[in-house]
Amino acid sequence: MPLLRNRKRFCQLLLMVILGILSFLVSGALFSAEIKQGDIAKRSDEYFLSVNIDYHLSEKAKTALQNGVPLYWNLLVKVQKYPGFFWDKTWLKVAKRYQLQYHALLNMYRVKNEDNGEVHSFSSLSSALELMSVIIDLPLINKALLDPEHQYLCLIKLDFKRDDLPLPLRPFAYIDPQWYLSSEWTSWPLKK
Amino acid sequence: MDIMAPEKIKPPVNLSVLILFGLILLSLQLMSSAMQESSELSAMYSWLLLFNTLGSVVLLVLVGANIYALLQHTKRREAGSRLTARMMSLFVVLALAPAIIVFYFSMQFLHQGIDSWFNVEIDRAMEDALELSQASLDQRMRGQLRQTEQLIDKLEGFSENAATLEIEHLRELSGASEMTLFSRQGRIIASSSNNPADILPSLPEEHIWLQLRQNGFFMALAPVHDHELMVRVIVTVKSIESQYLQALYSVPVRIADLADSVEFASARYQEMSYLRSSLRMSFSLALSLVLLMSLLAAIWVAFISIRNITAPVKELVKGTKAVASGHYDQILPVMAQDDLGFLVESFNDMTNRIAQARDETRKVGVEVENQRAYLETILGNLTAGVISFDETFKIRTANQAAYRIFRVHVNQFVGKTLMELVETYVELVEPLKSIQHLLENADDIWQQRIAFLGPNGRQELLCRGTPLFSQEGFRVGSVVVFDDVTDLIQAQKNAAWGEVARRLAHEIKNPLTPIQLSAERLQLKLANKLDSSDGAILQRSIQTIVQQVEAMKEMVDDFSEYAKPSKKQSVNVNISHLIQEVLALYTLREGVRFKARYQSGLQIVNGDPVSIRQVIHNLIKNSLEAVGLEGLIEINVHRVLKNNTDYIEIALYDNGAGIKEDQIEKIFEPYVTTKVKGTGLGLAIVKKIIEDHGGAIWVDNGRKVGAGFIIQLPACNSELS
Repeated sequence: MPLLRNRKRFCQLLLMVILGILSFLVSGALFSAEIKQGDIAKRSDEYFLSVNIDYHLSEKAKTALQNGVPLYWNLLVKVQKYPGFFWDKTWLKVAKRYQLQYHALLNMYRVKNEDNGEVHSFSSLSSALELMSVIIDLPLINKALLDPEHQYLCLIKLDFKRDDLPLPLRPFAYIDPQWYLSSEWTSWPLKK
Repeated sequence: MDIMAPEKIKPPVNLSVLILFGLILLSLQLMSSAMQESSELSAMYSWLLLFNTLGSVVLLVLVGANIYALLQHTKRREAGSRLTARMMSLFVVLALAPAIIVFYFSMQFLHQGIDSWFNVEIDRAMEDALELSQASLDQRMRGQLRQTEQLIDKLEGFSENAATLEIEHLRELSGASEMTLFSRQGRIIASSSNNPADILPSLPEEHIWLQLRQNGFFMALAPVHDHELMVRVIVTVKSIESQYLQALYSVPVRIADLADSVEFASARYQEMSYLRSSLRMSFSLALSLVLLMSLLAAIWVAFISIRNITAPVKELVKGTKAVASGHYDQILPVMAQDDLGFLVESFNDMTNRIAQARDETRKVGVEVENQRAYLETILGNLTAGVISFDETFKIRTANQAAYRIFRVHVNQFVGKTLMELVETYVELVEPLKSIQHLLENADDIWQQRIAFLGPNGRQELLCRGTPLFSQEGFRVGSVVVFDDVTDLIQAQKNAAWGEVARRLAHEIKNPLTPIQLSAERLQLKLANKLDSSDGAILQRSIQTIVQQVEAMKEMVDDFSEYAKPSKKQSVNVNISHLIQEVLALYTLREGVRFKARYQSGLQIVNGDPVSIRQVIHNLIKNSLEAVGLEGLIEINVHRVLKNNTDYIEIALYDNGAGIKEDQIEKIFEPYVTTKVKGTGLGLAIVKKIIEDHGGAIWVDNGRKVGAGFIIQLPACNSELS
């Protein structure tokens, strides 16, 4: 009987762990960014990407931002063969890097493009996010680099940089789903 | 197992453990450094934290496995496990107590220290400073808005071309760094900048246009570069077609720097304030991790060290168990030249000596056993019975001969006294009681003959006893050696009587014939020469001589008969038939009645029928002489069981004069008779024949009338079966 009771307790515990993991994944998915309305255009042997990104900042992220904590995102772009193998060459680059910070003095949100140093200030968070949402004609890869015999995929991911958070926040950012602000990899085929 | 001879004292932990311990400390130090944001390692903070957490988990697993193994060993009561558990418990208590105290106070100081960074006054001061900066800049913006609005009047009524010329003047007048006139649609009508390099004016963004259309003006402070602030003011020029005038005013560098400084400090303070709980948690986590790793590493190293320390003890316990179970060849390895190593060496010396002593003892034991077996063989093959007793007269050992003599397995009575033996074997009452009496009373070597009617008939034992004394003089027991000398005594008697008979025949019977012949010659020669009276005297004298010589001859013959062995042959004799045959010779006697009773079945004895017939003849003749002319003679023959042996008992009674009591004891001795005529050898011969046949004869004392003799002869059982 004690063995049976223990087994029952173990099953309950396992169920709770599974539910916990599922809830973690679901809650994590609530705040992750979404990449939508992507389009790849080819002009004079160069591929260009245009996407629209939807940001879902969690309350914790908004509070941290409001308290002066800068948030960083990297837009990752990857081009790889399809169907491919792990040994196939993959072109990966950080296409864009944004910093979003709140300025209490001016009561403005400042978006800084870390690549070119451009700074844009907005009086509202939604305006700041809107700027970061729209990517137009981002140069991807030159056609000459691709094998014409193969199909290629373009994969895009918005990666929230938890490592750039202030040090005391980092350990918790890794275990708190409210800090999972990255998007999943989204792919589009490269048309020849 | 060879004894290892270490050359130097080894440390309790090996080098790899020390290196691992160093790595753990290094990792903790790196994590501590990484916690400072200015450190280059701060980027690796998460990885270091993860590494240390994994290290803690690995150490936890190692310690858990060691604890589990220790518990299992303790449960199985393995050698050294309890000592290890005790030492580990002591170490954990000693290590844990101060560590927890230090940890507790560290946490207290840490939390209090972090909290002390923040207080209400600083918080309010920071907010006020920020608000002051905002108010100052706002006032400046409003002033510049008013200033720009005043310029509108000057532009009214100007055409677009005229406005292009006028705007330069207005910019200089207002002190703006850039001034631009936009149409309602946002088209640039006129623009002027204090920087000639600026080709395009700063264009308002979409949300500014939206706000402008809603409010009619726009006023905002915006950063231009990293440390530069610009006030953007846009107002509506009310003319025929609405136009917008944008003026950009540079904030003085000093004011911008001050505002920036206030904003930086305020933002930093706000960030720190926001991160307060996280910082506290983070430091607590790091401190806990350091404590956990240090403790776990210490416990793990303690496990290894204590295991190394207790290894010789464990070996010693194993060795002691082996020695306790009789394995003296146990040689333990000497692991270190310390006190425990010395103990192990001493243990090895001890077991070596014990092994030698055991071998010698075993050798001596084998020799003693051989001697004992040898003595037992000798004792077993002795014809004499040997019984040894302890100090309480209980039987300790008895040999085979004792069984042969007593017909009792004395071995089965080891631990009991002779008196207990008597209770079971009543027929041995006489000899056993005699021996017990002698054992209890004799203080020195004793010897005695004991006769009794045993299972083999009348037996005569020659017993010799010796009390045994310890070296201290205490009596520890006794030994009795006894021999059945029945045959020997009988042979000696027979030899003695045979010699007497031979001498009598030689010395007495031989002269009798010349005496008789001489007497008859005297009568022959002198009968005619003497007168009648003298002749009558001579004749009577010669007759007397001849009669006495005849009597003497008869007596010598009887004696010779007595001395001769009576059991000349050995055949099965039916006693009932034999008695009937003898009685048949006497039944013609008038006045004497014979009454004979025979038990049904065969009454067979093994012996010489002539001798047995003579016994019956002698006894009947004696009875006839005793009863005289009239009387009754009774003969009963039946089988009796005595001493587990079957006997044929012949009881013969008469109603004659009987035997006097003083004569009963020596009636069977030679030359003892109650008759006027007779040699006195009749009953002696009877007794001799009966005893030669292994039987016994005695006078029945219970008989009140006449005399009664009882004869018991061993029955022949083989014939019965």
